Amino acid sequence: MVKRKSITIFLAVVNALFLRELSMRFSSGRMGIFWTFFEPFFQILIFVLIKLVLFGSGESSFDFAVFLALNFTAFNMFKNIVIKSINSFSANRALFLYKQVKPIDTIIARSMVELFITAIIILIFVALGFYFDFDMNVKDLSMVTLGFILLFFFSIASGIFLAILNVFSESVGKLISFVITALMFASAVFYTVEILPIEIQKWILYVPLTHFMEMIHGSYFYALDTKFVSYEYIILWTMSLFYVGMWLYVKLEKRIISA
Amino acid sequence: MIELTNVSKWFKTKQGRKYILNNVSLSIPSGKNIGILGKNGTGKSTIMRMLGQIEFPNDGTIKSNKSFSWPLGLSGGFVGNMTGKANIKFVCRLYGKSNDEIKKTIAFVRDFSELDDYFDMPIRTYSSGMKSRLSFGLSLYFNFDYLLIDETLSVGDARFRKKSKEALLKKIENCNVLLVSHDMGTLRDICDVGIVVNDGKMYYFDNINSAIDEYMLINKA
Repeated sequence: MVKRKSITIFLAVVNALFLRELSMRFSSGRMGIFWTFFEPFFQILIFVLIKLVLFGSGESSFDFAVFLALNFTAFNMFKNIVIKSINSFSANRALFLYKQVKPIDTIIARSMVELFITAIIILIFVALGFYFDFDMNVKDLSMVTLGFILLFFFSIASGIFLAILNVFSESVGKLISFVITALMFASAVFYTVEILPIEIQKWILYVPLTHFMEMIHGSYFYALDTKFVSYEYIILWTMSLFYVGMWLYVKLEKRIISA
Repeated sequence: MIELTNVSKWFKTKQGRKYILNNVSLSIPSGKNIGILGKNGTGKSTIMRMLGQIEFPNDGTIKSNKSFSWPLGLSGGFVGNMTGKANIKFVCRLYGKSNDEIKKTIAFVRDFSELDDYFDMPIRTYSSGMKSRLSFGLSLYFNFDYLLIDETLSVGDARFRKKSKEALLKKIENCNVLLVSHDMGTLRDICDVGIVVNDGKMYYFDNINSAIDEYMLINKA
């Protein structure tokens, strides 16, 4: 058999896994696809209603529905990448029969699928936004895009790190769904840091996800800004998770394969 | 050449470590068809997986510059809710085959495996014999230095067994096999040399018949 370069093998494997995950996603019954694309609509609907009930339809300096669409798209990408990554090793165990399939490839392929789905959801929202005449002016599109890209890397780093912890203890996977729900409330997904009392602001800014959310919606709306965002903090978290995750992964790869 | 240096492999059990290999050093020459013999539960399949580098020793190293197939066994390594055809596509992509080659592979495997309608049905509807027919057919279309075969030849009806054996005999003109089997006839027909696994040790015989004799001796003891 002709020897292939390791990068060629890696790309072939990720490509094969990506297409496989995608076809499994879209062949697993219609309801699966339905929920993938409609979950964000329900989230937006619920929080718009909550706001109406609690605060009435008062004048706002930005469109709250657009704000939610933007934040939930980003947050769901993070949530789905992390959740899919955690089960990635056990779900793909049968594939380690093929020597070139490394456990980490399955995480990368699953994350790419989530990125792809996120892109489709963004397209749907943009199309709907223009059709229904929402305010679609973006203050700084490149910063919003960069925010999504940084969040994607942060999500993969978290996914790898948590997937490895899950190898040691299955409770990690069970705990994480609670943690993610808590994170939804604690990371400026349906509010801005600005509106919080100063004592709470201090605490909420320890949550790394808050900075990504502030970066994304702060760069999107003219009425908002990114003064709370610490880029050093974003990079530090991503690099640390990635470094520790990869360090553990290299040590444990063989154990994961033959588990 | 497959080079084992101080290889130990064990499994943890409540009664302590169970050794499959205990500090084994051995080199297996290239260009031979190798039969692996041993009693049930001595770890023949694990050893085959280690030689194919999808399982790893707890201690020591196994080195080889040869390419190995995935283990052709009863489980097959396929995804249950995808069709046979989709699984073939997936494996071809793993090995970086072009779309043109994928088409040819599918046509070949469809023909060889004789799965007919099942070829386009999810793998979970397959019997284990059907799975290994698919897996074996697919492996014939790849060019590995070694095929790893775990009892696959013993499945299917007599006619298909004969067909597989003929296909394999033709295939081994250009490649070698590592074969785990309890069927001495198959071992004699296909293998040149033998490895006998017993009690944490591994013995190499440069003639399959002496390996079989040794195995018979162990079985009597």
